[in-house]
Amino acid sequence: MGDKSTKEILESVLDEKRKEGNSLYNPKALEVIQQSFEKWKNTVVSEKDRENWEMTPHTIIGSSIPRGLIYTPLDIADLDYEVDLGYSEGEPYTRGIHSNMYRGQTWTQRQLSGAGSPEYVNNRIKFLLDHGATGTNLALDLATVQMFDSDEPEADGMVATVGVPIDCVQDFESIYKDIPIDKVSSSIVTHYPRNTSIIFPMYLVMAEKRGYGWDKLPGSVQNDFIMENVVRSACEWIPPKDDFRVQCDNIEFLRNEVPKWNYVTLNGYNLREEGTSGVTEMAVALANGIAIMDDMLRRGYDPDWTAKRMAFFWAPANDFFEEVARIRAARRLWYRIMKHKYQAKDPRSCWMRCHVQTSGISLQRVEPFVNIVRAAYHALAAILGGAQSLHVDGYDEAYSVPGEESSLLGLRTQQLINAETQVTQVVDPLGGSFYVEALTDDIERRILDEIDEVEKLGGLPEAVAKGWLHHKVISYLLEEERMIEDGRIKVVARNYFRDPNVKEPPVVTQPYDSKIRDQMVDKLKKWRKERDNDKVKGCLEDIVRAGKEGKNITYYTVEAARAGATEGEMRRAFTESFGTWRPPVYA
Amino acid sequence: MSSDREKIRVLLAQFPLESHSRGAFTVANMLRDSGMEVVYIGNSLPEQIVSSAVQENVDVVGISTLCGGELALGEKVMKLALEKGIKDSAVFVMGGIFPPEDEPKLKEMGFEALFTPGATREDIANTINDCIGKKRGAKV
Repeated sequence: MGDKSTKEILESVLDEKRKEGNSLYNPKALEVIQQSFEKWKNTVVSEKDRENWEMTPHTIIGSSIPRGLIYTPLDIADLDYEVDLGYSEGEPYTRGIHSNMYRGQTWTQRQLSGAGSPEYVNNRIKFLLDHGATGTNLALDLATVQMFDSDEPEADGMVATVGVPIDCVQDFESIYKDIPIDKVSSSIVTHYPRNTSIIFPMYLVMAEKRGYGWDKLPGSVQNDFIMENVVRSACEWIPPKDDFRVQCDNIEFLRNEVPKWNYVTLNGYNLREEGTSGVTEMAVALANGIAIMDDMLRRGYDPDWTAKRMAFFWAPANDFFEEVARIRAARRLWYRIMKHKYQAKDPRSCWMRCHVQTSGISLQRVEPFVNIVRAAYHALAAILGGAQSLHVDGYDEAYSVPGEESSLLGLRTQQLINAETQVTQVVDPLGGSFYVEALTDDIERRILDEIDEVEKLGGLPEAVAKGWLHHKVISYLLEEERMIEDGRIKVVARNYFRDPNVKEPPVVTQPYDSKIRDQMVDKLKKWRKERDNDKVKGCLEDIVRAGKEGKNITYYTVEAARAGATEGEMRRAFTESFGTWRPPVYA
Repeated sequence: MSSDREKIRVLLAQFPLESHSRGAFTVANMLRDSGMEVVYIGNSLPEQIVSSAVQENVDVVGISTLCGGELALGEKVMKLALEKGIKDSAVFVMGGIFPPEDEPKLKEMGFEALFTPGATREDIANTINDCIGKKRGAKV
């Protein structure tokens, strides 16, 4: 490996392979096509179309990648079938990670479980499972995401908004009551490393109390430091390097102790939704994957052991073919990185497995029912790209957290794609399209170039600390807003054929129920009274010490969760241990 | 509020636990482009929002909210604004995602303008200018 960059390593390997001369099109055929193409272009195509041959589509969170008028073998002249495409469940995995893809097993239909008290969310999970959902997807409320207990002053008005509140182990007991957590996989959206290190141990303690061995538990957490340091608005942050370290502590802990659990879901989604292109979304997530592999190597772990449980999370948006090509490109690129940079031997470690959620920022407040159609296209692109797991957004995203009706409609959209459209019967149905292959190549190149940019800045934690990503996001979102205003980005019903007399249709939203906070506070008081407070204090001190001494902090948060420590108490221990940090961009 | 000042001064904030900043960043930039001065204080308690508004002597207080809390915390902000004597001098506005049925309640509390996703630079700047005009007119 030496000092070579990821880009240099991949380029030298691929140059060697291409020298073998197995490109799909023979030079003679390409010559003939070149001639006929020129003739057609100059005689049939109008001068105006020739002049505007290349157009650049601008869309919300799009990548603005130029497109030609038509694609031919000339655009993929050096395509080598074995090197670039292969077969599903075969290197380089461009076409998918399972040989029979959706014929073998449908993707996991995982709808977020809504907002409300632990008991309410338990009912919503059961409702979704009863209607055919095949996994659970737990959204946390704002107080829990920001690691505040329900009784802290900051939590006023924020308990049980956008998700479920969790203060301590008893809340997990309520949420997963009667749910067979060894059979139904749980996605627990603990966004960033500190949040994961504090909340996930409470899930594990709940599981052991119910008699489940940790080695039996399937599921995933998010655990992505970009979520703490770049995406999340907050009152308080810890430094990116420390947060990255906690991310890797979680990985080491989970890989050793909860082997079936996906320890990280590299979250392109929220970064992209904050404001960035599909290319940057993937480049940052893959660069984080690289940083993780390097850190785990440094800790003495074999790349194959580490990589097996890596998962990714993407946001399919409006530019349909870009979305399909992007997922294929990231799958091939991750394989190439794992194979050629880390010499992975186990095929599974080279798989870019992904959950996708249709883009929320692409949905509009005006004429919200149009969002049903938008989300269906987003979802279709994800399935044509070969995703493993899907959440379809509610049409009412721009009004509130999805209600039961729109949540069910999201699930129905998934079922429709799966059972009615028949797109699932053929593996990688768009593979081989001149256009899709050319776009896949183009996007892979662009992602690799951005990874190279990150590596030149000293790797992802360093690039984030320097503010590279913050600046990129801010300038992207401001430019996007300008393009919506001047009409370069067309948004149906908002700036394109806007109805001047449009009225808001009745959208059923969930009113805020302040009683939930009162109930949580009562439960919390009782909980604090009944636990061994000296023991909790000792465990919290251990967390502070483990952080300072560079020990794996998550072993200590598990002990604290067992002793009954609350989320807010552990947050304060982390802050005491690592100190605070302020993002380099503040508008 | 100083009515002879050339530039309109706006304080922008979010409630303490709000996790989104895209809207605040976007609006901050829109307002600057429209010739206003923006003081962005990020996530803050209602007490901090009001005391910053007093300290910065702003004409407008804007709160970006997407994840709830608009009623409970909005009410707190207005109560404190009344106590600190800025409810009648400064214009209070809110933007983001909130259920339509909360809008009349927020207006009742004293949030003079509410902006939802899709609001344009023009909408926002004009509305704020109108609100300030009305306030200044009322005072004369």
